Amino acid sequence: MIAAIGGFVDIGDLVFNAQAGASVGTPALWAVPVGVLGIMIFAEMSGRIVAVSNKPNFVLVKERYSTRLSTFTLVASLVLTVLTLGAELGGLGFVLNYLFDVSVNFFVLVALFAIAAAIYFLPFGGLERVFGYMGLALLVYIVASIKLDPDWGEIGRGFVPERHGAAVYWYFVVGLIAAALMPYEIYFYSSGAVEEGWDERDMKVNKANAFVGFGLGGLISVGILVAAAQVLKPAGISPDSIGTVALVAEVPYGETGLILAFIGIIFAVGGATIDTAFSAAYNLAQHQGWKWGKRFRLLDEPRFTLSLAGFLLVGFAIAQSGVDPISLTEYAVIFSIPVLPLTYLPILLVGNDPNVMGKHVNGPVNRLLGWAYFGLICLLAVAAPVLFVWTNGGG
Amino acid sequence: MQPDELARSIETLESTAAEGALLANDVAGDRSKATFVRAHARELGETVEHEAEKLNDAEADPQGGVAPAKVKAINLADEISAALGRIQIAPDDEAEGGAAEKELSALSEKAGDLAEGL
Repeated sequence: MIAAIGGFVDIGDLVFNAQAGASVGTPALWAVPVGVLGIMIFAEMSGRIVAVSNKPNFVLVKERYSTRLSTFTLVASLVLTVLTLGAELGGLGFVLNYLFDVSVNFFVLVALFAIAAAIYFLPFGGLERVFGYMGLALLVYIVASIKLDPDWGEIGRGFVPERHGAAVYWYFVVGLIAAALMPYEIYFYSSGAVEEGWDERDMKVNKANAFVGFGLGGLISVGILVAAAQVLKPAGISPDSIGTVALVAEVPYGETGLILAFIGIIFAVGGATIDTAFSAAYNLAQHQGWKWGKRFRLLDEPRFTLSLAGFLLVGFAIAQSGVDPISLTEYAVIFSIPVLPLTYLPILLVGNDPNVMGKHVNGPVNRLLGWAYFGLICLLAVAAPVLFVWTNGGG
Repeated sequence: MQPDELARSIETLESTAAEGALLANDVAGDRSKATFVRAHARELGETVEHEAEKLNDAEADPQGGVAPAKVKAINLADEISAALGRIQIAPDDEAEGGAAEKELSALSEKAGDLAEGL
């Protein structure tokens, strides 16, 4: 359950929720539960598929697509995942520098070593627990949003979609939904289920992970958006830095709020860094048919281990190049949207297939919601690049 | 340089000054962490300096009406950068924080007025 929080509230969620709150305010709130429900439905489905067939998502991609299409899906997902990994490492560098003020590049290096050490020394379950539990410090944003005494009527109305003429509003709506559905999250979730050896006895654990874990992550996202709408929007501040997101927690709670925000960001973004690195290595290994996983000793499968290390190093090089992690995150989120249909379609096809799923095949509600979300994802895939260009990246 | 480009640039200055004022307010109330104030004020200062460089390099038609606003925006950027420098240098000084907060709030308003006038 806790694992879902670390994987859900990554730098993309932090940035997009704060920017949406500062730019369009609470009227965009409804997009958060729409995105969260989508990731819940598909995560639960992919966990159920693993429990029944022991097949993670990229194996499904390979089985259901032609060689050319599965290779295209692999390349697109690797590019976007490694860009996200670079943004996460860059974000960690900035946050650590806010705490110790030496240099961002130095702390990106520190973050790389810390992440590599955590991957090497901690077991898979330990990684999830440490980063997930410590990431709960982000709950400070929920408490902050309440302490800031918002207009509850306005918040309630924010959960109801409204007709809106401003392109920037729709840009943030699309971004908020997409930030919840980043492809690496679902690849990591299904591969993690294989790592933990899920079978049909783990259906309840899967449901709890998908619904309570991602639900809690969604609540944190709402907290960030509402708090940003209270603190940043009235002052006309546009958050262009992870420091601005932290400042939102400092305004109601002073240094305590700031420190809690930093702890939460470090562990949530650190957890997402691990998720993205593993996700890239899992996808490559599963596509190539290699033995993969942290459940084996790292040196027992050198190709998987080398690709994991290689992706971390590429992410590190991106972070060290001086590229702004916030801009990188925005690009990664928006340009992941056209890839979303390719990521989610195989899950839906297999989940609906009684030959594979037997008695655990999708029921009518899951089937309906799955196709409805797939339609939405296809719509977003077309709308996202157009809105990005039209609004100059929400600016 | 077109008026909408200049307005976007000035809006960045307005937002940065407003954020600086928020940060300075926390310095004044001893509610922040010195390393954060220093690093973040430096970051905000770099944003302002980058914007000033962009404004300086942009060609504005002297007859077109935006040239005087461009000069005012560059001067504003200088003032915002200097005010941010005060809390960057003395992140623990509550009196300095209070003074910087007032200055940055006023500069943010000034930038807002300038952008609106375009």
